[in-house]
Amino acid sequence: MNTFWFIRSARLRWLLAGIVIGGALIVFVLPIAVAVLWSLVDPEVGWFPPDVLPSSLSLANWRALLSVPELADAFVTSFAIAVLVTLLCAALGLPTGFAIGRRQLKLRRLLELLVLTPLMLPSVVLATGLGSVFIRLGLAQTIPGVVLAQTVVVLPYMIRIVAATLGGVPQDVIDAARNLGAAPLALTRHILVPMIAPGLFAGALLAFIGSLEEFILTFVVGMPTIQTLPILLWAYLGGRSSYLTYAAVVSLTLLVPTLIMLFVVERVLKQEYLAAGFGKA
Amino acid sequence: MTAETHAAIQVPRRPRRRRSEIWTDLVLLAPGCGFLLVAMAVPVVQLLLASIGLFGLGGRSRLTLDNYAQVFGDSLLRGGFFFSLRIALATMVVSVVVATLLTALLQIDFPGRRLVSVLYKIPLVVPSLVAAFLVLTMIGPGGMAARLLAPWQVQWPSFVHDPSGVGVVIVLLWHNIPVTVLIVSAVAAAIPRDLVDAARNLGASPWRVFRHVIGPLCAPGISAAALLVFIDAFGTYAIPSLIGPAYPRAISVMMTTEFLQHANWGLASALGVILIATTTALLVLYYRLLTRLREQAAA
Repeated sequence: MNTFWFIRSARLRWLLAGIVIGGALIVFVLPIAVAVLWSLVDPEVGWFPPDVLPSSLSLANWRALLSVPELADAFVTSFAIAVLVTLLCAALGLPTGFAIGRRQLKLRRLLELLVLTPLMLPSVVLATGLGSVFIRLGLAQTIPGVVLAQTVVVLPYMIRIVAATLGGVPQDVIDAARNLGAAPLALTRHILVPMIAPGLFAGALLAFIGSLEEFILTFVVGMPTIQTLPILLWAYLGGRSSYLTYAAVVSLTLLVPTLIMLFVVERVLKQEYLAAGFGKA
Repeated sequence: MTAETHAAIQVPRRPRRRRSEIWTDLVLLAPGCGFLLVAMAVPVVQLLLASIGLFGLGGRSRLTLDNYAQVFGDSLLRGGFFFSLRIALATMVVSVVVATLLTALLQIDFPGRRLVSVLYKIPLVVPSLVAAFLVLTMIGPGGMAARLLAPWQVQWPSFVHDPSGVGVVIVLLWHNIPVTVLIVSAVAAAIPRDLVDAARNLGASPWRVFRHVIGPLCAPGISAAALLVFIDAFGTYAIPSLIGPAYPRAISVMMTTEFLQHANWGLASALGVILIATTTALLVLYYRLLTRLREQAAA
């Protein structure tokens, strides 16, 4: 369904294009441009209504990301937790993803449902439940507690991507390599790793971003000791309005890894290796 | 390669699975599925028990329904429940209607269509707190809209902390409409072009094609998207805690306050159980509806 039959006039199409593109720019692009402006506001001068543009710009707020202790600490904590969550997800998700993706399981449907449940469960409920369990176990307000809590909502993505990636490797290719005399090590190095590396990389990146952006579980389990960037953002937005410039810096920092991921996924995950595997290339 | 040929090769080779195979499966599944099972079952069971007064932290353990009685007896708590319900319903209805219209719009071949179909995906990758910030810089007090309208002496309405919750719904919509558009366009793209052409050839008007061909084929996908939006909006915490009104407060906000500030585990757990119960009831209802529709279609 590429064309509709009832708009034939070229002029009407241009009018429509103008309205839709203009609307999309205002709704989706302008807010990000305004956030960039907020992050560049000179703290000495400020940006007060009714000025539509700030009168002077500076990089002071970006320098604050590394120099103001509160921001720098949250920055380091966020990225450290994200690395730990990614490693834990890889350790837990790789074997399970392999089993779901490649082995013949009787209860596959049930297992897939189990993997999806953390995403359907309201996360505030999961957060409060885990929070109360962690208080008993002494894990509340600790880095390991936050890492475990975030893993619950990030691991499902990891398992699904690993399962899809490993499941997508055609058995023919493995059999052919074996037939041609590839030793298990050579098979892994020259066939399997190049085929699954992009998918696994995407899974790790997704886990990293999921952890970096996670708010409610970190908030309930880690309050008030563990401060990550989203928790600072929440504090800046709730009442402390003089920190709107810092909120902009934190917001944009959280968006950067995501933009990198979009770029990487676009480039790497073209699934060309699958076509090559079937001899179409 | 189809599933049948795969099975045809596999079945004669391996009629019965050996016990060691099952052990291998279990060892492989234990880290991921085992972790998720424990990490979900323990908190949920803990909530269920605490909500009826058993094994709470501190206090004595005795079976009681006081917490539930309090939720439905206290007008503050009851109001919060209905506030969450209202917000979720409003977000769901507006999301589905706007997303369906936008999907239809994106089917028209106008110049710049590809640009728009990239731009609308931006909110998909924006975390909800950042979405709240972005929307606030536009429509919040002292935001862009208010600044642009100021020269004309137009008073911009306050969308922050308004008791109707319009501000909360706007942020939720900014986040959820693109998700819905994505699902609905995927469903619409799966409709074979031939079907629409055949109906047109046979003399059906565009409206009849939509009513009898496109609509029914899109319905399951659209209703699944609606369900996802509802569940997300009903349980959301970050957005109503930031820009929601002081009264009524969303059920998730009340729950977190009872847990973190008042240390009232029983009440927090009862609110949590009500949240899960509402979500689960909707899921069950949806699957029953879908099954019935399928049966009707088959009959």
